[in-house]
Parts: sequence; structure tokens; C-alpha cells
Amino acid sequence: MFSEKKFIEASRDFVCVRLETFENKEHEALVRKLLNGRFANTSFCILSPDGEEQLTRSSRGPKTILGASGRGPSAEPGSLDDILAAMEELVEPYPLRGRPEELTLQDFHSFRQALNVASGDQRLLLFVAASPQDREKAKKVLKPVFANDEIIGRFHLDFGTAEADSDWSEKIAGTRSKSGYLIIQADEFGQKGKAVAQLPLTASGEEIAKALLSANESFAKTEVRKVYSEHVTEGRRENIFFENEIPYGEDRDGDGKADGRRYGKGRD
Amino acid sequence: MVPSSMKRFLALSLFSLACAGTFYAQGARPIDITASPQPIGDAGVMWYTTWDTAIEEAERSNRPIFFMAAAATCSGISGVF
Repeated sequence: MFSEKKFIEASRDFVCVRLETFENKEHEALVRKLLNGRFANTSFCILSPDGEEQLTRSSRGPKTILGASGRGPSAEPGSLDDILAAMEELVEPYPLRGRPEELTLQDFHSFRQALNVASGDQRLLLFVAASPQDREKAKKVLKPVFANDEIIGRFHLDFGTAEADSDWSEKIAGTRSKSGYLIIQADEFGQKGKAVAQLPLTASGEEIAKALLSANESFAKTEVRKVYSEHVTEGRRENIFFENEIPYGEDRDGDGKADGRRYGKGRD
Repeated sequence: MVPSSMKRFLALSLFSLACAGTFYAQGARPIDITASPQPIGDAGVMWYTTWDTAIEEAERSNRPIFFMAAAATCSGISGVF
């Protein structure tokens, strides 16, 4: 569904947020709030713009809510057209405000997670390595860039901070400087990457957009879509493990404790 | 001795259980997940990846929030979403 052009177009009327469930306690708390105390790998719901009101019930995925008939395990998922119609109905009471080029920019809690997600989505990552003062200047430059139709939804964006990302350069090959705009291609497992282009913090929005589109064109020619099952099989073979703050596991009965097995590096 | 076809079946079954939470919600079993049909480099959903940035943008633009939480790993193996 998320790769359907019609769905992608409809998604622009929403602020789409996808949190890494196990990344930190804040994310766990949000998931538990939506799932009435339970904790699951995946959760979904539509919220009002202030985040206070649930406009749909919550569930483990959108297909069982948007355009679905019935509820619970017997619910019949809706067709894409049903989903789109439900989405259109949900945005109707909320007229757009503000100018697109004033948008809030995407960011990650850490460069480490940004690299992982960029790898998972197979998108290039624009990483901004800058002092706090230069970071604010960079945001002003990047807002119109990331409001551009040619850029939206094609890249991930992360602003490095000294606290969370002091070791970012150790993960990336081909860097020429410790500061600047870096266009990064994550590796297969998203734990390392390479800088495919680098611009100074003095670069204009036009220069950055041009570099992003050029890098994306090359990326599209060389990158091959991952096959999920093969990727995981290979990850097991290579003993890949990504540790989050929250241990992997679900709490389906909502008793505050994880159910069943957890996953850790010690299981091989 | 366990035949290789049986080993493969068991491995796929374990893999299926490990990642089940992510995909049962979407209607597909993990062993059935192949590659995304979306061409590399094409525009996709524009995801915010922190709650703070999402709520700020939603309040600014008055757009409802399409909220998802999911694991960007499969039983700890990174590089998949």
C-alpha cells in the first residue's frame, strides 16, 4: 500500500510519522497510550493535528481501519480506493494552514537510527553536520528545498548533534570534512555508509537540491531492491544485531512485562 | 539427519514467527515478503521520524497525523522497515 502512487499522493494531506517502536521510552509510551496499555511491534492510528484526539481507533495496521468493514479479527480490509476515500473524509474538516516552504524539517533522534532507516527504506540520507548555530542557519536553507515536489519523500534528513552523534564520521567512508551537508548511502544493514556527495555549510538551497537529485539519479541506477526474507537470512548468517533502548518483545496483555521470547545477540 | 528442505522450512518458520508482529498487521507473512515494488529513487511517503517534529508540523499546517510505529529491524537485524 505504501508504495502505491495514489496512496503516496493522499498521504501528503497528512503529517505522516513513523516511529521506531523500540527506539526509546518515549516511543514505547506513545504506543502503549494508543493501544490501551499494550505494547506491540506495530501500531497505527490517525490523530487530530494537535495530537490529542484519535480520529480513528488504533490497531496494528492501517488496512484494518481505513476503509475496512467490520472490526476485530473478522474485519475485512478495504480496497485501496476504500482507504483513499476514508483518508479524504478524515482530512476534510482540517483546512491547510501555513506556507509549504515553512515546513518543519524531518530529524532523527540519532545518526545511528537515521542510517538504519535510510537503509531499510533504501533512500539516500542528507546528514547535516554543524554546530548548533550553523544548524539553525542550515534549517532556513533546507526548508524550501524539502518543500520542493522533486525532493519530498525521496530522501531522509538528519541533523547531527554533539550529544547523540559524536561518532558519526567513524561510520561513514569518504568524508572530506567534519562539517557540511553530506549525502549518504547507507550500507545493506544500515550500520555503516558512504558519503556520495558533500557540500559546505555555505551551499545554497539550489546547490543542495541539485546535488540531491543528481545523487538520487545515480543511486536509482545502481541500488537493487532488497528481498526482505533474504536480507534477514543474510543478517542472521553475518550475526548482525542492532540494539535499541527498548528490548525487542511485545506485551500483548498489557501487564507491563514482555510476553514470550525476546531477541538478543546471545541467541546464535 | 534432517533433509535440507526440512531445514529450510524450519528456518523460514522461525523467521516468520520472529517478524510476525510487523507484517501480520499488513496482511502478509514475513516469508512472503519479497522486494518493494516501488522503484528505487521514486518519491514515497514523507515520514517524520520523531514525535516532536511531527506534532510541530501538524499544528503548523493543521494536517491530521497519520501515526505509525514499527520496528526498523527484524528480530534485531537492521536495514529493514
